[in-house]
Order: sequence, then structure tokens, then C-alpha cells
Amino acid sequence: MGKVHEITVWTSGVVKDKEGRDVANGLARAGQIEGKFVQAFDNYVDLPDRVNVPVRKYARLSDEEIEMRYEYENHHPEVVVLVTDAIVKGMNVLRGMPKGGVLVVNTPRKPEQILKFVPNKELLKALVCVDADGIAGKATVDFSGTEGGVDATALGAGVAAPLLGAIARATGLVKLQSLEQVVANKAALKSGYEQAIVHTLN
Amino acid sequence: MYVIPEHKQVPFAGCTPAPVKEQRMMITGNWRTYRPVINREECNLCMNCVAYCPDACWQLSEDEQEVVWNSEYCKGCLICVNECTHGALSKAHELDFEDGVVRLEKPF
Repeated sequence: MGKVHEITVWTSGVVKDKEGRDVANGLARAGQIEGKFVQAFDNYVDLPDRVNVPVRKYARLSDEEIEMRYEYENHHPEVVVLVTDAIVKGMNVLRGMPKGGVLVVNTPRKPEQILKFVPNKELLKALVCVDADGIAGKATVDFSGTEGGVDATALGAGVAAPLLGAIARATGLVKLQSLEQVVANKAALKSGYEQAIVHTLN
Repeated sequence: MYVIPEHKQVPFAGCTPAPVKEQRMMITGNWRTYRPVINREECNLCMNCVAYCPDACWQLSEDEQEVVWNSEYCKGCLICVNECTHGALSKAHELDFEDGVVRLEKPF
């Protein structure tokens, strides 16, 4: 089995659950378009979510078949995405990250303001701040896609679109062109790609 | 007998040690995006926040002169801000404060 790129998305239960799911699903679908082997799923133990509870969504991308059988959590995420910035205070979000990872945060704040709340910042290669709430305007709330269901609303219609753009720019895991094929709000995707502040560390 | 390591112990719903005032296995302070901030000069101790807080995070202090906020369990639902009769409570973003870091290894 080749290298599996693990992406963990932290989001707030119910109010931004759909957005977190869209980030994981968007990355996976874009990877699929590029011919990669992909997985995207919710964290089982976090469900059912309650309003504001920190929940995780996972995505995996690989050039070869993913053979991680019976592993339902990303233990070594190389990219961590925070759909709600305040989670950086409440959780050890970089747990298990190998050195040289990337943290992407949806925040109007400067990277330095986020960085002071990250205790293990030596693990990070880059911290990316993007004001996805400001770009997209409103978070989509939809429960139809929870626990493996099919989403009734479009993928990436809200906050997830600029975040996906920022991830594409900072990590290069998927191309912007392939994201454009799966994300509904293409203008927000591009704005996120362009407006993301990439703060390089180490 | 197999002993469950402490970091893997999860309480069953409702089956938690009692009676205790604060349930250490159920800290929810890390859910918060916004927190309520009190302006003591405006507060007239109407006790609406104490009555309405779903997690009893507003309590009257021992000298009964002010209401005290519990940062470890407040989820930031902001019901208290909504119910405050004198506009003494307002919301502020959690990242504006250095304190109130409840860094857990597990979400709950």
C-alpha cells in the first residue's frame, strides 16, 4: 500500500456539520476525478452530533488502493481543517500529526492570533487562514447527508467552498480545476484559493 | 477481570457518578465559539441567567453579591444573553480571550 494522505476536518455539530462533511467529501470527489483512490466518512463516535459539539470528518487520498481495514479514524492526519476557529482552544487538534503537517483554519483573524493557541506548533509546515464565513456568507444546514446518506443539497454551496480552495492552494493534494467540477459555489472556491493567507513555519 | 484504562472510560448516557456538582467526565467548555460576558454595573441580580442556563453555569456567589460564570462547562449557547433583562450580558468571540482553554484529547 502506498502513502495514504489523511485529512481530518473539525467542525461544530449541527450548525456547521454539513460544511465539514462537504470539505471531506469535496476533497475525496476531486481526488477521484484525478484518478486517486479515496475515502470520506464521518467519525462514528461523534454521532449523533449536538449543537456546537466538536465533530470530526475524515478524508483519505492515495495513489494506490487504500488497505486500511477496520480503521475508522485518521490517527496521523497530515492536513487538519478547522471549520470553526474556536475549536483550536478546545481540542488538541494536531494530535497524531506527523512533522510537516498543514493546519487550515476558517477565521478572519491573522495566523499569529491562531498560532498562540496551538501548543504543538513545531509539527506544522504551514498555517493557513481563510475567512470562509466572510467569503461564502452563510453556512448550509442540512442533515440529509449524515452517516453516509446522500446529500439533498449541493456540495460546497456554503463555507466549505472557500476552505476547499485554501486547502488546494496550501497542500496541493487536489487541483483547483478538479475541485471546480464538484463544488457548487465556484466563485467562493476561487476567492478562497486567492485570499487564503499561507503562513509558512519551520 | 479486564480493567478499562482511565483514558478509555466513557460514561453511559445518564450513568455518571452522583451526587457531584461538577461532572469531570462531561466537560463541555470546549464546545464554545462565543462566550457570555457580564457587565457587573448593569446587572441587577434578576437571576434570569441562573434560571435559564441549561447547564447551571451561572451561579450566585457565596456572598450573594454577584453571579459567577463557569467557563469549564459553558457551551456558549448564549441563552443567558438572550434572557438577560438589563442587557448586562453580551457575547464575545472565544479567541478574543487568552483564558478558558479547555484542551481535551477526546471531544467528549
